[in-house]
Amino acid sequence: MPGNVTNTREIAKTQLWRENQVLRQILGICSSLAVTNSMKNSLVMGLGLSFVTALSSMTLSAMRDIIPHRVRMIVQTMVIAAYVILVDLALQAFLPDISKQLGPYVGLIITNCIIMGRAEAFAQKNPPLPAMWDGFFAGLGYTWVLLFIALIREVLGFGTVFGVNVDFIGFERWTIMIMPPAAFFIIGSMIWAMSARAQRLPTPNKK
Amino acid sequence: MKKGHIYTLVFMLALSTVLTLALALAYEGFKPNIAAHDDLKKERSVLYALGLDEGLTDEQVTDTFAKVVEPVEGQGYVYKQDGQVRGYAVPFTGAGLWGSITGYAGLSGEKDKLTGIVFTKQNETPGLGGRIDETEYREQFRNLPIAPGTLLSYGQHDGYRLDGITGATQTSNAVIRIINQMLSDHVFNEGVQ
Repeated sequence: MPGNVTNTREIAKTQLWRENQVLRQILGICSSLAVTNSMKNSLVMGLGLSFVTALSSMTLSAMRDIIPHRVRMIVQTMVIAAYVILVDLALQAFLPDISKQLGPYVGLIITNCIIMGRAEAFAQKNPPLPAMWDGFFAGLGYTWVLLFIALIREVLGFGTVFGVNVDFIGFERWTIMIMPPAAFFIIGSMIWAMSARAQRLPTPNKK
Repeated sequence: MKKGHIYTLVFMLALSTVLTLALALAYEGFKPNIAAHDDLKKERSVLYALGLDEGLTDEQVTDTFAKVVEPVEGQGYVYKQDGQVRGYAVPFTGAGLWGSITGYAGLSGEKDKLTGIVFTKQNETPGLGGRIDETEYREQFRNLPIAPGTLLSYGQHDGYRLDGITGATQTSNAVIRIINQMLSDHVFNEGVQ
């Protein structure tokens, strides 16, 4: 299918930027506030979410004709839960260190609205392959936003990037950056910037 | 496409069966790996509490554990070298903010100081109470003087200084309470056998 490539590219552009789940749909905010004081946690959380969203979207899309409409949300939850448990078990079995560090976060992937959002908005109307890409790129869109927030917070709060010390100028660390409220300011600014761009509103400091 | 109640019921039963089966199989498949990691984690935790875990590889942990640590009937482990008791690892558990906090406390052979504490299970708020698992917090308990009848507390004291975690007062207090409880119940009143 030649049209599929463009399709995938369109999906990628939409999910990574134009309709970014965190910045434009304002979904997945809770975990964006919670895990973004370290880049490593943000990365694993993002990858876990991308994996679960991709596979659950694909599975739900493949079953979309046989799922009774009335109970579709319950079905979505069950499928998503199954994949989250799989990820959790796999991490425990093969990456025990990361599993220990992330602890409850992995289980919390299930509560991420992005997964069910994609299942409802895309997977139930589209074939499995595009649904998988859609879920995957939605997850990546979430991942880069998390990493961006985490970069600001980790550098200013801990003076590190991925745990590596970058504090060579010896500035005072901002304790607030480690605390959850910091993410509010950063994510709020990012949402504002994205909305302003999308609506082509003049920014306040333009004369 | 309208689907009847019977269809919905059968569909849900079938889906539940399939998913449960898949997860059960996956769990069975992963179980040996998970169990091995759990054992290793426990051994490493005990050695850490005893102050013996210094950059040991996984194999060294298993070796050292088998060589110098013996389980004590009922609770915990005793650390012996050349037949001499050098320390104890006493398990503790108690209520944290969200769930129970479980771990081991290491004691010197004379029971006059803690050699370290380690948490094996805790569900405290990630980023706040969860930071009890960070080295900065845990390392504070190394060589902390203990004595019958005295309680550990946060702040500057004669002979030691202990800091709680900012923003996680409930968890910090829970840890101190659990440790004090463990000391008075299992170390000083009953004693470690």
